Amino acid sequence: MKIKNIGLTRRGLARSLVVPFAVLALGPLATAHAEPVHGGSMTMSLDPQPSILVSALNSSSPVYVVSSKIFDGLVSYDENFNLIPRLAESWEVSDDGLTITFHLREGVTFHDGEPMTSEDVAYTFMEILKQRHPRGKSTFQFLEAVETPDDLTAVFKFSTASPYVMRALAGAESPIMPKHVYDGTDVMKNPANTAPIGTGPFKFGEYERGSHIILTRNENYWDGDKPYLDQLVIRLISDSASRAAALESGEVQYGAQYVIPLSDVARMDANPQLEVSTDGWGYNTSVNYMDFNLRRDQWQDVRVRQAIVHAIDKDFLVDNVWHGFATPADGPITNRQADFHTTDVPHYDFDLDKAAALLDEAGYPVKEDGKRFSMTIDYSPSGDTYSQTAEILKQNLAKIGVEATLRAADGPTYVRRIWTDNDFDVNIFAASNIADPVIGLHRFYWSDNIKKGVAYSNGAGYASEEMDEILEAAQVEVNLEKRKELYKKMQQLAMTDLSTYPIVYINWFSVYDKSVKGLNQTALGVYENFANVYLED
Amino acid sequence: MEALSDFWRRFRRRRTAVFGLALMAVIVLLAALGPMVVPGSPWEIVGTPFTFPFVDPAHPLGTDVLGRDILRGILNGARVSLLVGLSAAAAALTIGIVIGACAGYFRGWLDDLLMRFTDVFQTIPNFLFAFVLVAMFGTSLVNVVIAIALVSWPPIARLVRAETLSLREREFVQSCIVIGMGEGSIIFRQILPNAMPPVIVMSSIMVATAILTEAGLSFLGLGDPNVMSWGTMIGIGRSALRTAWYMAAIPGVCILLTVLALNLVGEGLNDALNPHLKNR
Repeated sequence: MKIKNIGLTRRGLARSLVVPFAVLALGPLATAHAEPVHGGSMTMSLDPQPSILVSALNSSSPVYVVSSKIFDGLVSYDENFNLIPRLAESWEVSDDGLTITFHLREGVTFHDGEPMTSEDVAYTFMEILKQRHPRGKSTFQFLEAVETPDDLTAVFKFSTASPYVMRALAGAESPIMPKHVYDGTDVMKNPANTAPIGTGPFKFGEYERGSHIILTRNENYWDGDKPYLDQLVIRLISDSASRAAALESGEVQYGAQYVIPLSDVARMDANPQLEVSTDGWGYNTSVNYMDFNLRRDQWQDVRVRQAIVHAIDKDFLVDNVWHGFATPADGPITNRQADFHTTDVPHYDFDLDKAAALLDEAGYPVKEDGKRFSMTIDYSPSGDTYSQTAEILKQNLAKIGVEATLRAADGPTYVRRIWTDNDFDVNIFAASNIADPVIGLHRFYWSDNIKKGVAYSNGAGYASEEMDEILEAAQVEVNLEKRKELYKKMQQLAMTDLSTYPIVYINWFSVYDKSVKGLNQTALGVYENFANVYLED
Repeated sequence: MEALSDFWRRFRRRRTAVFGLALMAVIVLLAALGPMVVPGSPWEIVGTPFTFPFVDPAHPLGTDVLGRDILRGILNGARVSLLVGLSAAAAALTIGIVIGACAGYFRGWLDDLLMRFTDVFQTIPNFLFAFVLVAMFGTSLVNVVIAIALVSWPPIARLVRAETLSLREREFVQSCIVIGMGEGSIIFRQILPNAMPPVIVMSSIMVATAILTEAGLSFLGLGDPNVMSWGTMIGIGRSALRTAWYMAAIPGVCILLTVLALNLVGEGLNDALNPHLKNR
């Protein structure tokens, strides 16, 4: 395990030291090569296969990957969450935060030739995102109306300031949809959901289920002579070993997130033709959490919860389960959201003696059979990392006399058991912080989000008046400094109450052929629209 | 006694059968004694992850992705695989024999009913059906055994029915009816003992199939996650197949050898019990 760490550090060093040097030394040569080239077809892998191709209606990751190429949003974000103009050229936010005015780009058309206007923007937010998007309902809950004084101006009116909305406007999360295609139809059943019509750099070509999706170049894209690629082929490959082989053989040139087994990353990294990069994940920042089901008797005493989290060996998990592609977590907000992240929270180091002492104190002594109590561990079925985390936790708990039983389940069973039946003791899962805590984090800690049947809501059943007050204040706070302060308090409280416990911050990565350029330039990563991507010959 | 030595004479006529039996004996011995010789839980993290076999004497077969000893896993897995194989086959035999014997002996509407019921089970692909059952009822070892038993009894029922249909017309059965023997006695004491040879042959194959099915379920993450079976080990090693092939290969070879041994024994039994081959 040591060797792997050295490998990563070495690469990190190489990136920080060698790159500036190389740029200095080879300056003229490098610029000569930096000129983007038109043409060519890029193949990327995707799994699992998306049910529809419009991310306004379905927020699962593969849908986002495809939809974001076909639909642009009002803006995009760089790695520091600065806004990059897309369909909106400029915008103004009123001082009270209740009005946001967007000035739209002129001459943008949908793939069917119809011009994109403020009517489309109003329809998208009011009729689709606010009604149909799984997160949009809460993100845009205070959005009262979108006024359209002229074709290129959209004025968003809020009943309560919603500063986080400015972070939910990228094409993946809030794609601008064609009103003329959807208005007056059954939105969920519209045929355009599987053959989308957007304004993005790529047009829908064909979708062969179980095989591939083909997107073709939008000749009339607004951004100069972009996109550079003639065609984007998205191959649906469900087996991770096959994806690794496809990347190595050059059959596939780009893949992201769960693309290859973590144990294969070192080998990919050593391949001179391939690049492994953790850039471009600012927007899609996953955290590996563990929920305590607070409805259960044995978790009522916080010392018992403390004991369990003291049995989590985060360093071992980072080295052996995540192969270095994770960071031990501090609070519930990932370190990639640098403005809200804080290390100033209670920490629970791996300490089995302390865990045992806490259980003694809490009235769970070791009984005659050598055990204190039994519990079950449920874990997300999406990938080996969660089952391995559960296996390791089980071993460590056994050492302090807590007998844990693992419960495996397929996807739908798992979701029903955790979020509908609430039938679990602890649950190990991952969720994205997305771009703003209101969008990605409130769902786990706000008592209003104890919703039976809503996957990835407050499954712990955590209800704290103090927490609710902080979250409700942070949601409407316009002043960034005050918001930061509120989220610091929020994280300290979360780490004291231990309902949803962050284990590690996951560092997703992408693997791509070195001939592919222009990837990972923004915080959107794989959810970017790929207008800047080109193939070097 | 004479019958037994006669049986053994015919069985050993096929060398591969004897080899299969010897192999089976070794596997059973490993399962029985192994965990005593190499003590400790197979889940315990004991070494550096990704240690290849024959590198570290403390872990002769290497360690898996999390540093668990593969030898411990193999020995414990042998117990699990054999246990699952035997109990699932036993359960399937019980269901199959009862249904097949009733259908074949009573015929008429009961036969129709039972055979249509059997058809229902036979038309669903075995593995998928087991998969669905385990997904529905939870991934415990008992549920896995029940699921495998529920999907594998139909061939037994068909076989026993066919045998019963022909046996019930023989003179010795007819004479039993004439002297007023009860139906239960006729079925269990007269017909079934005579119908057994092909069932015994089939049951050895059935144990092998059950082991394979369990491995398949575990490989897909639907085995009991608290039990280290060979299938579980292959599932664990799957993601590391390209970098550490031995993690999946070692338990894979174990399954291969066990299934092979059971099949060879099955062929030997067929030779020894099949009346048509008796005088060959």
